[in-house]
Amino acid sequence: MSTTTTPRIPTQRGPAPAPPPPRREPNPLLRWLLFGVGAAVVWSLINTDVGVRSLIQGRDGAARLLEGLFPPDLDGTLLSRVGTAIIETLQISIAALVLGAVIGLPLAALMAGNVQAPGWLSGGARAIATTLRGVPELLWALLFVATVGLGPAAGVYAITLHAAGLIAKLCSEQLEAVDSAPVEAMRLTGASRTATALLAIFPQARANIASQLLYQWECNIRSSVIIGFVGAGGIGQALGISMNLFRYQEMATLLIAVLILVIGVDRISRAFRAHLGAASHNPTPTLTTRFRQLLTRRKS
Amino acid sequence: MDIQLSGVTVDFASHGLRVLDDIDLSIGDGEQVALLGPSGAGKSTLLRVILGAVRPVAGQMRVGGRDPFGRPADVTAIRRATGIVRQRDDLVRGLSARTNILIGQTHQWRPLDWLTVLRGRVPHRYTERLAALAKRHGVDEFLGTRIEHLSGGQRQRTALVRALLPAPRMLLADEATSGLDPTRATEALAHLRDAGGATLVVTTHDLPVARQFPRIVALRDGHVVFDGADLTEQAVQDIYGSRDLAEVGS
Repeated sequence: MSTTTTPRIPTQRGPAPAPPPPRREPNPLLRWLLFGVGAAVVWSLINTDVGVRSLIQGRDGAARLLEGLFPPDLDGTLLSRVGTAIIETLQISIAALVLGAVIGLPLAALMAGNVQAPGWLSGGARAIATTLRGVPELLWALLFVATVGLGPAAGVYAITLHAAGLIAKLCSEQLEAVDSAPVEAMRLTGASRTATALLAIFPQARANIASQLLYQWECNIRSSVIIGFVGAGGIGQALGISMNLFRYQEMATLLIAVLILVIGVDRISRAFRAHLGAASHNPTPTLTTRFRQLLTRRKS
Repeated sequence: MDIQLSGVTVDFASHGLRVLDDIDLSIGDGEQVALLGPSGAGKSTLLRVILGAVRPVAGQMRVGGRDPFGRPADVTAIRRATGIVRQRDDLVRGLSARTNILIGQTHQWRPLDWLTVLRGRVPHRYTERLAALAKRHGVDEFLGTRIEHLSGGQRQRTALVRALLPAPRMLLADEATSGLDPTRATEALAHLRDAGGATLVVTTHDLPVARQFPRIVALRDGHVVFDGADLTEQAVQDIYGSRDLAEVGS
C-alpha cells in the first residue's frame, strides 16, 4: 500500500515579492581603521612639511644646483679619480658579495625546511640572518667607520653583513622550492641529511641561487654608493666630498659615472642570469627594468 | 630480506581517506611478488610503508627483522639494503645520469669519493659494476648527459641502474616499467627478477606484467582481494570491477 501526500498549495496569488536585499551595515572596525589610516597620512604630511609650498620655497636652491651641474667637469685628473673610485666601488661590491655568500649560504642551508637541520641549529641560523638583514647597511657602515676607520674596508664589512642576511633568506626560499620527489628518493636510500642537501637539494636550486647572487651584486653596487657618503669608500665617498665642498660640476661627472656603473652591472648580471636560465625568477625588478616598464606603459 | 605486515592501516587524514585497511601480508626472503591493482588501490603507499616513509595508524611491521618506524639506525639499515625505482621522476635535475646513479649510495662513500663524483667521475670500486649495468640497460650511451636532457624512458632506465648498483637485498619497483617501450619493459623486468636473489616487490596495474611473477597480491580500495599464483578471470573481475579488461591488458 502506498501513501500519497498532498503538496501544500500556497494561499497567496502569484509569487511573493522578493524581499529587498538587506542593507549591509559597514563594519565599525573597518570604519575606525580607515579613519586611523587617513589621520596618520594627514598627520605625517603636515608634520614633514610636504607640499607645494616647500617645493616653491626650494626652487631657487634647485635652480642653483641644476645650473651648477652643467657642464660636467671632464678634467683629466678628475676623470682619473672617478675611474679609481669606480674600480674601488666594484671591488667593494665583489668582496662583499663573496664574503656575504660565504656567510649567507650556510645559513640558508640550515634555515631551509627540506634540509631538516636540527631545530636549535635552524632556529639559531634564522635569528642570525634576521639580525644581519634587520640592520640597514648605512647603520652597519657607521659602526664600521667608527671601528675600522674611513675607507673601503668599512664598506665591505657593512655590505657583507647585510648581504649575508638577505642571501640567507632568499636562498633558503630557493632551496625550499625544489622538486621534493628526488629529495625523498635520496632520503629513502638511507642518505644522510648533509648528503641529501648537497646532492639532491643544492643541484636543483643551483641556477636560481646563482641568479640570486648576481642580483645581490647589483644591490651591493647601489649600497656601496650610498654608504660611501658616511666615509665607507668608493664612488659614494667621492660624491659626498664633492657635495660638501659645493663642487657641483664634479658631482655631475660622478653622478654620470654612477649611472653608467649601475646600468653596466645590471646588463652584465642580466646576461649571466639569462645564460643560467633563471632570469625569470628574479624576485624584484631592477631599477632599469622598472624604468623600461614605465616607458613601455607610457608608449602603449 | 623478509617483509611481515600485520593489520596495517593507513589513513590520509587531510583527505579523509583510508588508503590501506587492515593489511596482512608476509613476503619471504628472496620472494618475488607482483602487487597488482588499479590506480588508487594503495600499492605505492604500501611500498612507502615498508620503507618507513608513511606511518600507519595501526598495525605491526617487520622488514628484515627490523621495525621501519623504530630506531633511526633500523630505518637507515632497511633503506640502505633496499633499491627503489619509482614511477615518479626521482632523479636530480642539474646532475648527469652517472652522478644520479652514484648518489644512491652516499653512505658507502669515502671522503675522496665525494670529490671524484662531484668532478663527474666514478669511484674506482664502482667502475666495473656500473659499466656492466649501464651496458646491460643501454644507459652507457648517455651516462654523461644531464637528466633534464633525457627522455622519460632513458630516465627510467637510469633509475633502474641506480637501484641495482648496490646489489640490494630488497628491490621495490613502483610501476617501474610504465615509461618503457614493450621490449625495454620486458628486459627491465627480467633484470629486476635476476637481481641476485633479492626480495622483489613490483607494483603494476598491468596484468601481463603481474602474470610473470610466481606470486600476485592484488589490492583494491586498500584491501587485499587476491593473494596467490594463478589469477582467475573471477579474481580479475574482483580487482578491476566492471572496467573493460582490455584496458588492463587481460
